[in-house]
Amino acid sequence: MSDALIRNFIIPLVQVLVVLGVAAGAVAYMTLVERKILAFMQLRLSPRRVGPHGLLQPIADGIKLLLKEDITPARADRALFTLAPIITVIPAFTALALIPFSGGGSFNIFGYPVSPWIADVNVGVVFLLAISSLGVYGIMLGGWASNSKYPLLGSLRSAAQMVSYEVPFGFSIIGVLMLSGTASMVGIVEAQQKAHLWYFVPQILGLFIFFVSGVAETNRLPFDLPEAEAELVAGFHTEYSGMKFALYMLAEYTSMIVVACIVTTLFFGGWLRPFPSVSALAWLNFGLDKLNPALPGFFWFFLKTFLVLFVYLWLRGTFPRYRYDQLMKLGWYWMIPLAIANVILTGGVLLLLRR
Amino acid sequence: MFRTEMMDINMGPQHPSTHGVLRLKLVLDGETVNDTDVLIGYLHRGVEKLCETKNYHMIEPYTDRLDYVAAMYENLGYVETVEKLMGITVPERAEYIRVLTAELQRIASHLVWLGTHALDIGAMTVFFYCFREREIILDLFEAFCGARLTYNAYRIGGLPWDIPPGWIDRVRHFVKIFPGRQKEYETLLTKNRIWLGRTKGVGILKSEDAIDFGVTGPCLRASGVDYDIRRAHPYSVYDRFLFDIPTGENCDTYDRYLVRMEEMRQSLRILQQALDHLPAGGVMAKVPKRIKPPVGEVYHTVEGPRGELGFYIVSQGDDKPYRMRFRSPSFVNLQALPHMVKGALVADVVAVIGTLDIVLGDVDR
Amino acid sequence: MGMQAFLQKVLLLELWQGMWVTLKNQFRPHITVEYPRETVEFAPRFRGVPRLRKDPQTGEELCISCLLCEAICPTECISIVAEKRPDGKGKQLVSFTINYERCCFCGLCVDPCPTKPITAIYMSHDYEFAGYDRDAYVATREELVDGKPVKIYTR
Repeated sequence: MSDALIRNFIIPLVQVLVVLGVAAGAVAYMTLVERKILAFMQLRLSPRRVGPHGLLQPIADGIKLLLKEDITPARADRALFTLAPIITVIPAFTALALIPFSGGGSFNIFGYPVSPWIADVNVGVVFLLAISSLGVYGIMLGGWASNSKYPLLGSLRSAAQMVSYEVPFGFSIIGVLMLSGTASMVGIVEAQQKAHLWYFVPQILGLFIFFVSGVAETNRLPFDLPEAEAELVAGFHTEYSGMKFALYMLAEYTSMIVVACIVTTLFFGGWLRPFPSVSALAWLNFGLDKLNPALPGFFWFFLKTFLVLFVYLWLRGTFPRYRYDQLMKLGWYWMIPLAIANVILTGGVLLLLRR
Repeated sequence: MFRTEMMDINMGPQHPSTHGVLRLKLVLDGETVNDTDVLIGYLHRGVEKLCETKNYHMIEPYTDRLDYVAAMYENLGYVETVEKLMGITVPERAEYIRVLTAELQRIASHLVWLGTHALDIGAMTVFFYCFREREIILDLFEAFCGARLTYNAYRIGGLPWDIPPGWIDRVRHFVKIFPGRQKEYETLLTKNRIWLGRTKGVGILKSEDAIDFGVTGPCLRASGVDYDIRRAHPYSVYDRFLFDIPTGENCDTYDRYLVRMEEMRQSLRILQQALDHLPAGGVMAKVPKRIKPPVGEVYHTVEGPRGELGFYIVSQGDDKPYRMRFRSPSFVNLQALPHMVKGALVADVVAVIGTLDIVLGDVDR
Repeated sequence: MGMQAFLQKVLLLELWQGMWVTLKNQFRPHITVEYPRETVEFAPRFRGVPRLRKDPQTGEELCISCLLCEAICPTECISIVAEKRPDGKGKQLVSFTINYERCCFCGLCVDPCPTKPITAIYMSHDYEFAGYDRDAYVATREELVDGKPVKIYTR
């Protein structure tokens, strides 16, 4: 096998497979973590029957969903009905290619350097925005193709919601881009390292807007209108069952994880350890950096991502659901002006500092 | 080329937030409700007719199954009606214990309302906190009468049993801990801007409309009408207790929420007074084994957690009623639903169903 | 709008308070009972399925076939067949069946039971009553006294 083939094809393929595998596992266990955390907030026990402390529950759920009868409603648009969940899943997973899971070095496997990210694109953030807004098509088409009333309402809601929250979602990142001067995900983390400052400090407003619109983008409570179970039964996926339903769930949780990863990367210093310059805290590397400088980065990245995901679940456990018109109002009256104000503010301050 | 059309949508009878088997036919213009048709009867069991074939003792378990969320009140209203018809005076201790259990039931019922209402609006955690406290009350009821939902707790002429030992202390403990728990729900909801947005100005029912529809209970009081049967036509020993009747001003869902929250606090006040003045003595009056009320008819109401709960009995001197009629508050309050949701959004329909606090067993009978 | 109210609005104070409540409650003990691994304790008055009992001293059946419970049962789930005692005094049971499918657990049958000091029919604490067969819900006199065999869930 030629060297170029391995470098350009085999290594990325392995990377993709590893990330896909880890992501699918993370999604599966995300459902369990969600149920556990919600249960603890609500003074309940969580799933505990399958395996010790319910640890095998996601596998059981997966098997159940695979074996379920896959029903397509009689008057549904068959092609679109099948296609819609796939359209939703692909962008959610594609976004993972851009996430730098660790940094500071690459692994040397059989003499070939393997970076801890799949791709470092110089327009990474823009690409992420573009790919994440594709997910709405799957939801819209799914609701439409079901040829049923509740899914239709749900998909209409989601179209309006996701399109309008796309705007503050994008605007809130601009502050970060201004500070770092690059749109590459790796570059942003490195800029934070250089500045000795994680961007959630200067960009606290940006973080807030980004996170809120992120929650809205991923249709989670308090913005889970497309699938508001109290009103629309299950919203756009009312008619879905079996594996197609599982794909929607997979997409939803993957998007959650992606948003959490982006928050970590852009605002919380990605793979960076807290207070890297304080040598008294060097034990926080757990000696892993002696094996490979990139290893502790994984730990910190996943810890931070998990904490962001915890906030997601915490919100779900605490808040009531917005109404459709209030959600739109919040988006257009508050989030978008705030995001633009944040851009102007950041630009102005940067201009003053440069002088 | 383009045209819009109304969408008919069936909400229920199998829908997560119609509180049972209520069916609404909504005519939607986008998400706006243009017209509502309330269809009931999916839980009709013909209890009224059935009662004509049962003697007066046998009817009480059937009343349990009308408003199964607040069965104590159904029991209370029924036995008091028969006692009124027969002119039986119930021992004072029995009256006090009836008030104790009934007010506990009011809190339990309001907790179910709060939990499900909040769940409908999306705050799922409140539901579990409410049911945690309701469980304490149900344990008290289990200790008192042996059942947790369908109590059959009273008998014509008094109570089948006195309260078990230690019960009073457990009620006192509940009265002590409940305000703190209630504060928790209030922290989660009362000032929460999402909750305010979802409930303020939603489902407005003006006081004159409320009276026209015959709405009673917290829904009426939240419309600003100070009418509570415990005060207006005192039954049992309610004339001896000090309590306030909370009323609302804005006639909306949020006011109904506040009124019910305040009612729970007032119930605690009544509980405290009843506990302090609980008299000693027997709990059963002298009642003949076969109950044969004199010829006549009687209507008696009690203030249930959902409103005016009325019982109408026509007796022809037999041991079975000639005609039995329940005036169930859920049924009457439900009539106001189409009026309250006209022009609202789909999400508001859910909020209004929750705020009316209907129990389908009570609506359909 | 006062300064405090303004700050409250901008800093989302009430939302943080709400989140504090849910965070705090995570560390409270759970209230779920892991049935069937654990079961709850019943109050002594708990009304399970109605059963018959024997005199604890003599071991004789207490029921005197007075038919009062049959008469008061609102769902007519009790049916008693009685015959004259051979010695001529009173009646004795031929059969006593309770149809648990119809029983509504109201406990009215216990009220008029005339045997003293304990009633012949009583509300037991049995409640686990799932089954595959309708016939399993018609309890005969022997089953009413000894209790129906209940299949305990194990795993």
